[in-house]
Amino acid sequence: MARVVVLGGGVSGHTAATFAAKWLGKNHEVVVVTPNSKWNWIPSNIWVGVGQMTKEDVTFELEPVYKKAGITFKQAKAVSINPEGSESSVKPFVTIEYTGQGKAGSSENVEYDYLINATGPKLNFGATPGLGEGSNLGEFTVSVCTADHADHASHELQKCIDKMKKGERQKFLVGTGHGMCTCQGAAFEYIFNIEHELKKAGVRDMADIKWISNESFLGDFGVGGLHMKAMGFAVSSRIFAESLFAERNVDWIIGAHVNRVEKGKVHYELLDGTMGEETFDFSMLIPPFAGVGLKAYNKAGEDITSSVFAPNGFMKVDANYAAGSYENWKASDWPSTYQNPTYKNMFACGIAFAPPHPISKPMSSPNGTAIGPTPPRTGMPSGIMGKTVARSICDLILKGENAPLHKASMAEMGAACVASAGKGLFNGTAAAMTIYPVVPDFEKYPGTGRDTDYTFGEIGLAGHWIKHILHYMFIYKAKLNPGWTMIPE
Amino acid sequence: MVRTIITYPTPPSVQYGTDVRFFDSSLFELLQDLKDTIEANHLQALAAFQIGSYYNVVTVKKEDGEFLELINPRLLSSSGSITSQESTAYFPGLTAEVTRFETISVIYQDREGKDQSLKANGAFAVLLQRKLDYTFGSSFINKLSKEEKKRFEKKLEFGSDVAISESCPTTFKRDYLQKASKAAFVIMFAMIVIALLFSNDDTKQNLWEYQLYGSYFVVLMQIVYIFYGQYEGKRYSSCTSCQIGNIIGTAAIALFKLTLIMVISYFLIKP
Repeated sequence: MARVVVLGGGVSGHTAATFAAKWLGKNHEVVVVTPNSKWNWIPSNIWVGVGQMTKEDVTFELEPVYKKAGITFKQAKAVSINPEGSESSVKPFVTIEYTGQGKAGSSENVEYDYLINATGPKLNFGATPGLGEGSNLGEFTVSVCTADHADHASHELQKCIDKMKKGERQKFLVGTGHGMCTCQGAAFEYIFNIEHELKKAGVRDMADIKWISNESFLGDFGVGGLHMKAMGFAVSSRIFAESLFAERNVDWIIGAHVNRVEKGKVHYELLDGTMGEETFDFSMLIPPFAGVGLKAYNKAGEDITSSVFAPNGFMKVDANYAAGSYENWKASDWPSTYQNPTYKNMFACGIAFAPPHPISKPMSSPNGTAIGPTPPRTGMPSGIMGKTVARSICDLILKGENAPLHKASMAEMGAACVASAGKGLFNGTAAAMTIYPVVPDFEKYPGTGRDTDYTFGEIGLAGHWIKHILHYMFIYKAKLNPGWTMIPE
Repeated sequence: MVRTIITYPTPPSVQYGTDVRFFDSSLFELLQDLKDTIEANHLQALAAFQIGSYYNVVTVKKEDGEFLELINPRLLSSSGSITSQESTAYFPGLTAEVTRFETISVIYQDREGKDQSLKANGAFAVLLQRKLDYTFGSSFINKLSKEEKKRFEKKLEFGSDVAISESCPTTFKRDYLQKASKAAFVIMFAMIVIALLFSNDDTKQNLWEYQLYGSYFVVLMQIVYIFYGQYEGKRYSSCTSCQIGNIIGTAAIALFKLTLIMVISYFLIKP
């Protein structure tokens, strides 16, 4: 009997664990280690953040679902990995520290045959002074990264709406809180949902809304932008985004590294080296991501963290980490099996794997500050990776150690993204976009590196309906309700 | 080398701008071509896009006669607004009123790949913004207000779509399959008329068999139409956003017609 341990119960980890449990059956064990008792459909957090959904609408208890699937659930956070075992144990193991189930604070060593690291990121608020401490959100800004953060954001937003109703003008600043952030898409959705809600509340004329991000052009989204074919027109995501911002009267600051946050004010540095500051009454700034801080030890107990993990704390996989500068980047640098090169029974997927380099053109200011989006590994690609890793591990267990691994490189993978720009059955809007491949392949598709026949986008009410349907569909799937395997990632 | 500037109504040969990754001889050649083309046509500036290159490169001839080369330029910050009459080499002889930022800050790379930045205002800022739009695959028309766009389009012989959409075929090969089905319908309808003229059972039996063969043919044509139509639709995906819906709809209408003919045939022809 083999044991597969999955660290993390987010999109990637949950997908990997549930498929592994289904494919392996009762003869093998799947263990999920996640510090949260609830699963969160993160894309809908933006609707919690504007009070259009409750925390309960976007989360559910994991324990009963895992019980149904025959998965062992440990509500704990992983602290360290011993991929070679220890002097007293031959088998590799993970050291975990419980956060619930009545065992909070106690530690345990969980042995494994195969390990999937899908911990997601550490929300590194501490990287920007004033944005927060470590992984804790600070007091000056709000966040929509977790359901609790989003719930808090919604209350703060309501306070601003109340003030505007009393005739007090308010300034909103939404975007990225550091020069090396990813997830611009979430901030993009949030700023337009705020704009939509303010309009609904009849106070839009009392609000100044501004975007701040580390992208070198609007619409970069961490993927170097995209070119969409829509309604017979070829539109760059820059033109698309600029039109949307202008249409909704939202101002923008781009190429910005927020280097300090204080009450009602952010300080930033721009790509041309100039410094600036911006005031706000309400601000949602996405923090940069880092690895969760897992340690690794060899058999002798020596620290081997730096050989298992990249400096940013994400796990090394079958990627080319020596690609060098921008002109040398190739699609083949990106991992396809997500297997750790040293320890073949360890895999990392979702945000937890270390990408070889960004997707967007790397840029820095004359002062040497790197300002540019880091690559997104969330949503659809994250789910696909989780399923692929689960399939590989199941084959290794069921067909033998020499079974070929399954592949899902982001350079050969398309992704669909539906970005909400306002919630409402008849007046909602969302931008639906597809991109293929996520990582540009300049050799296969000279020019943009993408197949423009499969890269398109449209904005409208139908997009909102799709986004809303996806909310129910993915929660239905994650709860493992009948037919869940038929719903794509 | 002086290159041909693409002008209306020829659609731009490339639709998308992409960043320069290699600062090598091919880039230097492109920069030289841009300079030569600017000189030969007495222009102020050109985006590589305008001479059929997909790279994000803009060359500007400054007042002192020197050339400014902007590689991978980005409009970083802006302020104020200014409205002026603008013209572009793509629409020779035409002008339009465009509102743009008055002051801008641009970051770019020079021919050595070093990061540079500049600030511009007034007419120079307007010129740079127009060229920068081209590097991202936008067109002059995209920047016009609704009213100005209407006025400008009236001056264009072939409308504005030609400037931004890919060339779409006016007929598709899949339409021949529908023509074949229509021919079969005409023959099948003729069979019904013939059946009304002849009451002989043997003749009717033969006619009924012909009707059956005809219906198999139409069903086969529709199946091929759906699959081939989807393949063909993907090749021209930018021409229309709902080709797949149209294909299925057309096939459904044809099958409905077939059902109608076969029901009539069943009662009138089948002995």
